[in-house]
Amino acid sequence: MASLGEADWVRAARAGSDPAFARLVQTHQAAVRGFLRRTLGGGWAEADDVAQETFLVAWRSLRSLKSDEGFRSWLLGIAWRRAQDRIRSARRSAARDHRWLEEAPPPGGVSPVDRLAMQRAMSDLAPDVRACVALCLADGWSHGEAAVALGLPLGTVKSHVARGRARLLTALGGSDDA
Amino acid sequence: MTPETRLQDLFAAETPPPRDLGFEAEVARRVAARRAVVRVAALLPLAVAVAVLLWAVRPYIAGLTLPAAAIPATTAGLLAVIGALALVWMSGRFSAA
Repeated sequence: MASLGEADWVRAARAGSDPAFARLVQTHQAAVRGFLRRTLGGGWAEADDVAQETFLVAWRSLRSLKSDEGFRSWLLGIAWRRAQDRIRSARRSAARDHRWLEEAPPPGGVSPVDRLAMQRAMSDLAPDVRACVALCLADGWSHGEAAVALGLPLGTVKSHVARGRARLLTALGGSDDA
Repeated sequence: MTPETRLQDLFAAETPPPRDLGFEAEVARRVAARRAVVRVAALLPLAVAVAVLLWAVRPYIAGLTLPAAAIPATTAGLLAVIGALALVWMSGRFSAA
């Protein structure tokens, strides 16, 4: 089964194959978790919890996937909606973004000063700007792919990415127009 | 090091590993738990229907009597038939392969 493409795994998973769904989880877990870590803020455990919910919703909703080739965008769309729900509920607590700064584990190999500056800048971005930045700048998605996954107009994604990038670079010591 | 490079390094530091068996196992556990709930929910209408049927036929069964010697064999036979039927039904309905 090693030569199967992703669409084949999706079809097999929809037919009830657990190994096929496990393969999809294995393939996409890093992208979904990375996206949620950058978009949600908070601790990485929270992002992983939402990522697991995302895969559970995907498992339940595989029949609603229209194009087997569009699994990645569809999955990130689910992750984005779950993240929005989580952000909305967390906004009831004004301390959320401060918690982000306190709870996020320090990644290795980067300066703690840069990390703090980056986290502060990310926490100041609106959630949909964060999502665009996470997909296009961090994961290398095209603006068109991000627009499909996030359900945003293409022009909005482009402006969000440009604005978010400028804010982050400024926070790291660059200029606004970098 | 330029701000652009630092930005990419910071993004890279947040990227999860390409394989994470713990995460994958937790997803599999949550899927299995969800499937168990779905199974129980699917069996509930059948259980209710059987309960109603038994309640309906109870007056007729109550009038029947078996010789004491035939009770163990009859019970064993009934259990074997019910078990076989349940196995056949569940293997077809809930196959995950």
